[in-house]
Amino acid sequence: MRVTMQTLLQNLARSHGAAFAAVALLAALLPLLLVNEFHLKIVFTAAMYYVAASGINVLVGWNGQKSLGHAGLFAAGAYTAALLTAQAGWNPWAALLAAAVVAGLFGVLIALPSLRVKGPSLAMVTIGFGIVVEKVLTEWQEPFGGQQGIYGVLPLTLGGRPLDMRGWAWVMLGFALATHWLLRRLLVGRHGRAFKAVQASEVAAESVGIPVYRSKVLAFVISAVTCGVAGALMAQQNQYINSDFISFNLSVFLLLLALIGGPSVLGPALGAIVLTLLDAFLARWPGLQHFTYGALLLFALYAMPQGLAGALGGFVQRWWPRLQRTQPLPDVPGEWRPASAMVADASGVMLRATGLYKAYGGVVPTRDVDVLLRPGHVHALIGPNGAGKTTLLNMLSGTVKPDKGVIEFAGSDITRLSASRICGLGIARTFQNLRLFGGMSVVDNLLVALTARAETGFLAQLLGLPAARRQEQAAREEAVRLLRFVGLLGRAQEPATSLPYGLQRRLELARALATQPRLLMLDEPAAGLNPQETAELTALIRRIGQMGITVLLIEHHMDLVMAVSDHVLVLDHGQKIAEGTPRQVRNDPQVIAAYLGVDEDDEPVAAQPQPHKEPGYA
Amino acid sequence: MTDLLQALLSGLALGGIYALVALGFSITQTTTRTLNFAQGEFLVVGALVSVAALLLLSDKGQGAVLSAADVTLWRYGLALLVSLVVLSGMGVLLYLAAVRPFVGAGGMSWVMSTIGFGIIVQNTALMLWGPAPLVMPSPLGDSVIRIAGAGVRAQEILVFAVTALVMLLLDHALRRTKVGKAVRAVAANPQAAALMGINVSAVVVLAFVLSSGLAGLAGLLIAPITTASVFMGLSIALKAFSAAIVGGLTSPRGCIAGGFLLGCVEAGVGLWRAEMREITIFGLIILVLVFKPEGLFGRPVFEKV
Repeated sequence: MRVTMQTLLQNLARSHGAAFAAVALLAALLPLLLVNEFHLKIVFTAAMYYVAASGINVLVGWNGQKSLGHAGLFAAGAYTAALLTAQAGWNPWAALLAAAVVAGLFGVLIALPSLRVKGPSLAMVTIGFGIVVEKVLTEWQEPFGGQQGIYGVLPLTLGGRPLDMRGWAWVMLGFALATHWLLRRLLVGRHGRAFKAVQASEVAAESVGIPVYRSKVLAFVISAVTCGVAGALMAQQNQYINSDFISFNLSVFLLLLALIGGPSVLGPALGAIVLTLLDAFLARWPGLQHFTYGALLLFALYAMPQGLAGALGGFVQRWWPRLQRTQPLPDVPGEWRPASAMVADASGVMLRATGLYKAYGGVVPTRDVDVLLRPGHVHALIGPNGAGKTTLLNMLSGTVKPDKGVIEFAGSDITRLSASRICGLGIARTFQNLRLFGGMSVVDNLLVALTARAETGFLAQLLGLPAARRQEQAAREEAVRLLRFVGLLGRAQEPATSLPYGLQRRLELARALATQPRLLMLDEPAAGLNPQETAELTALIRRIGQMGITVLLIEHHMDLVMAVSDHVLVLDHGQKIAEGTPRQVRNDPQVIAAYLGVDEDDEPVAAQPQPHKEPGYA
Repeated sequence: MTDLLQALLSGLALGGIYALVALGFSITQTTTRTLNFAQGEFLVVGALVSVAALLLLSDKGQGAVLSAADVTLWRYGLALLVSLVVLSGMGVLLYLAAVRPFVGAGGMSWVMSTIGFGIIVQNTALMLWGPAPLVMPSPLGDSVIRIAGAGVRAQEILVFAVTALVMLLLDHALRRTKVGKAVRAVAANPQAAALMGINVSAVVVLAFVLSSGLAGLAGLLIAPITTASVFMGLSIALKAFSAAIVGGLTSPRGCIAGGFLLGCVEAGVGLWRAEMREITIFGLIILVLVFKPEGLFGRPVFEKV
């Protein structure tokens, strides 16, 4: 008996479909078992908060944005439904749909500042948004009714009859299950990975082709729609809404739902159930209620950084590891091959940069530099520390915009394009200070890059259409080939940041290759590697070059540079002082004076990170 | 014209309050890269504690109402002292309970924990003092001084004068004294400062004490103008933070300028349509963030890639 129970549970945990069916069955039975209106109302409320929390979880847990203004979005949905049914006489279902749309539009509005500000400032701006909505609702009697609120909100009807409390519980549970089903599809696929990548490192996400700002707006809109729907349903169930309910406390509560639950697919359900029950239990002592929320905010993150779901997951991992599942990788033969052909302009030049200039305050890391890269060549960019090599690479990859100058790739101007667009054209890069997506596995790091610019759209993903599934399968097969190519297949499921340093560097290289680059730019790929790892890397770069991928390499290891490159550029104090074949550069007196004047054997600078130079950086 | 002057005068008083709180934000931001999101509640406690202290000094029971005769200048000063002591203690407590566990951990857990601290503070204050606003007469009386037709209350002049004085003192202390230089060193680079023999934790605690003290001072100064209410904190803190963004969060002088600017804008818009104040202010913030995210007086920060 115990064994069958265990197998049953394991199967439930392994197959989302079966678990979902079981929960749906429970949800269908639960309202039948309850006779008390109050208990049914608790079920309704928990399901409503689940809908709101699941969207906020996408924003907070997956995308890493903090918002303390979601009461404003809740209000957008609630008041849209209220005004449309009570005053314009709309059908309640149509009003619900309109509420979702209006809340989504407000979501775009609240996302706008996230383009410019991060962290605490963004949190403060979202508080401001919530306060403005609250003020408008309170002070503008027309049309919002102020504190008197709006009466006569029409409830949802089924078969022409308004719902009773049991009907509401069922409908709300139905919405909750539908929300879970849709969002889970989205989160286990490329959108979920892109959200996590943005949270881990915006710069790296942009560099593998994820439009970071669009990803943030999408996360805000998803959370806005779910909060708006929750608000609308609450107003329709109460048949009344007023401004008292829309307060900073509601924003805090909504965020708390996601934080207590934790950043996983299950988290919001745990958060909604626990907090709704707590709320109902503490309702007799309103003062204590707020104290509890305060204490939860103060200590929960300290005690459970990953929320209830994370704590539970850790528990399961320790006591019942077989429940944990990792999706096995497909077993595919064949070697990884670059898919893109070489490109060049009419005169056979792949990338041409002219007069690049960049200044940070008084520091000028790049002063009127011209660069010319030819297809199929391995170019090296060398120079002493502080010569401006990384800044130049940042400009070519679109991470930093030049103050002056023009960059053309295959004949078209890319100077003002975003890094993700530039990546889409076929320029990939790695970073001097590793920027892997922490908290994701090795294979997921590659899958982010492999599917960042996939063609199947948001809806296909949301509904799990066959096209989306085929694309996912193709990406996994490509990931396996690429992992084999760089020799990381055996560690595919390990957390990326737990790899040894040398392998992390190789993973970053593989991630850049996953974007199918025509031009691959490597920023000190051998920094921190031991001699054997450096030799392996040299061979790998050679192979990449032989496959027809153009390479631009920043490196301090002269052995490596001399061994692989066809053409060397030398920078010093932001200016190009020489270029040519390795032999020419090696014998150039200016280069010897600036850079190679030291004995090649003692090269102490290569492995160390460079000191930060920019003002204001800490 | 008189209207404009009137708006400017009340704007400067209001702006002084914003500037004090904004400066508090700036001090902890530069030294620890964290902000006290409970700053508004701290301001409320500053106001309420000084009302309680004044009641005590004038031999009235808690719950009584202060009359103008109860509030003399020296009692007002003593109340300030009491509220500064209480607020310093709260600043240390906040740092230990809500900030230190999360500093340098990445993410922004401290945003949530300081908000949680604030909620606890607010509800404690609610239990002690109740929801009704408390009256605090100004130590300078209620007389209105006329300047070219515009009226200004003595308390408003006091707010402006005290703010200006505190700014000058702090500016001097930060730039000229040894402690001030230590604070700036920690702000620039805590690791290097520690290597130079500066006691970084002491400086950080000092930063939270200073920041909380400024909020308490602001509470004491604004109470005679608006009365002391448990619920006034959030809105003031939010506008003060906006002031810090407008001026530049990392620049103390920018925060002061931003505070006065925002106070005047708010008073100006209030002349025209009172219900548009919040919307105008937050609209302004978004414009500043779009066109000059480092603030009008802040230096741009470059992220090293």
